[in-house]
Amino acid sequence: MVIIENLNKFYEIDGQKQYILNGINLSVQKGECVILKGVSGSGKTTLLSIIAGLDKPSSGKVIIDGEAVSKLPDMHLSKFRAKKIGIVFQNFNLLEGVNLLDNTMVPLIADKIGLKEAKDKALNALKLANIEHKANKIPSELSGGEKQRGAIARALVANPNLILCDEPTANLDRENSLKFISALKKLHSMGKTLIIATHDPIFEELDFKHKVVEISQGKIGFAVDA
Amino acid sequence: MKNNSFFYFLTLNLLKEKRRYAGIVIISSLLIFLLSSVLFISSSIKQTLNYTLKAQPDFIVQNIKGGKVAPINSNMVNKILNIYGVEKVTKRVYGRYFFDDKYSTLIVGVDFLDEQSNKNLETLINSTDLKQFLSKEQMIIGQGVKNYLKTHYYNLEYNFLTPDGQMKNIKIFKTLSSKSAIISNDETIMPLKSAQKVLGLKENKITDIALNVPNDSEWQTVKAKLQSLNFNIRVISKKDMQKAYESLFNYKGGLFLVLFLIVIATFSLLLYLRYTLAASLERKEIAILRAVGWSIKDVLKLKFLENIFLVIFAFILGSSLAYIFVFVLNAPLLKNIFLGGSNLTNFAKFTPVVDYGVLSTIFIIFTVAFLSSVLIPVWKIAVTEPKEAL
Repeated sequence: MVIIENLNKFYEIDGQKQYILNGINLSVQKGECVILKGVSGSGKTTLLSIIAGLDKPSSGKVIIDGEAVSKLPDMHLSKFRAKKIGIVFQNFNLLEGVNLLDNTMVPLIADKIGLKEAKDKALNALKLANIEHKANKIPSELSGGEKQRGAIARALVANPNLILCDEPTANLDRENSLKFISALKKLHSMGKTLIIATHDPIFEELDFKHKVVEISQGKIGFAVDA
Repeated sequence: MKNNSFFYFLTLNLLKEKRRYAGIVIISSLLIFLLSSVLFISSSIKQTLNYTLKAQPDFIVQNIKGGKVAPINSNMVNKILNIYGVEKVTKRVYGRYFFDDKYSTLIVGVDFLDEQSNKNLETLINSTDLKQFLSKEQMIIGQGVKNYLKTHYYNLEYNFLTPDGQMKNIKIFKTLSSKSAIISNDETIMPLKSAQKVLGLKENKITDIALNVPNDSEWQTVKAKLQSLNFNIRVISKKDMQKAYESLFNYKGGLFLVLFLIVIATFSLLLYLRYTLAASLERKEIAILRAVGWSIKDVLKLKFLENIFLVIFAFILGSSLAYIFVFVLNAPLLKNIFLGGSNLTNFAKFTPVVDYGVLSTIFIIFTVAFLSSVLIPVWKIAVTEPKEAL
């Protein structure tokens, strides 16, 4: 489902290429859960951003469901992202001053979905993320764990097959991190493809099938099935 | 409507930032209000001047002695009538009467039995029953004169003190319409003979002679012929009068310019603040929208609609308030800046005149500048890779 071919990302500083990602090749099958593991600055967030189409590679390509994401023009890429990719950010990135229900609806608005249908779908997504009781709260009234579940609901609202999570437990305590992991398990059981960038050791405790891919200095070190 | 979720989100966004947007609307409305008020006042004054000029004769002939206007013999009228192309020659008496050392009125003496005199004054004294007016010694007074006399308990009549020390009682017949008050505020119109007595002129003496020349291609020739009647004669054409009226109000153009510069400076400041606000506060919001699947076009559409709503709202609010301020409340404060040619408190009512051309220009300039200050930074952020802005 996700194929990464010879992916490079570098910046030129004083004529010298500084590689963030160097020759990444990776294949993720439909319904698979992949943990991108690595220390801070190893390049996992950049890799995730390129997969999501939020950043462009210097060379190489990312293919999702047969579409070369990095080659798509803005209009198509935006639609593709809205329908096929759900993203959960480290700092949640919920819109301030907008309640959780409306925050969850945001990806559907770009898709020109009617208001009632959008609200119904958002409410379902909040139920799935187990946060529907906070639907009318704005982000500043929510705890970190609640914001994270809100972010999951928003990632799920358009029913995408691919969910990308960037350091999802970095701002959560252990209890909320475990809750997040049980949410992941639920998504995995629903057949979603999951790619999670993290350096949190809690992901070593995952009790469902997954693959761990280590990234170090922009290169893939090892990949193990667990 | 499939797109109603978009408009729902647009409303949410406007409400979410209601305090910030209310501030922008208030400042913008104030600027529009100031510009529109000045515009409405100047349009109204312009129209009143045109209205008054229409009532003026083509030429006025005066007698100048030692650089001052001196009385002229009324038999000069017959000499002027002999000039080919001239018609409707009218005797007039003009002069200033001082109530005290501060307040005065412009006495206008007219031969009401002369058809042309009436024609010239018809816009000022229309719907006046001349028969009734001429039955006694009466006068028609401007709003400013009326108010001055009223404060001194002269509600029905006034006793003028003539230069030879006698009292001349003249009844107040009616007050001139406030529609022409910009010009007629301090005027007192009375029969020619009454004016001669009040101003101390002999019966055969007048201050000027008004005349018309229907064929305007003859104006130069007639003017030359009039001047050749006597070397003391000064001939004032309608164009000269127009220039005099315009210069009376145009010197206030400097005030308009200062006001305009203040508005432009404040508007530039507002645009700069809007630009920096859009570039900083909206940066993260735009990046989030882009990250969850909004295209650059969607983001620009949202920001365009959000701000066009603010601009239209501010414009309607500002121009409506200006209309009420100028034409309903009669522009307190600003009126004294733009009027004041009269030495009596001016009671002019601004005639409602809206120059849609200039109003549209203000709207277009305001809208383009305002939207550019928002859409340029928004576009810059939207085209950046969302990862950088997050």
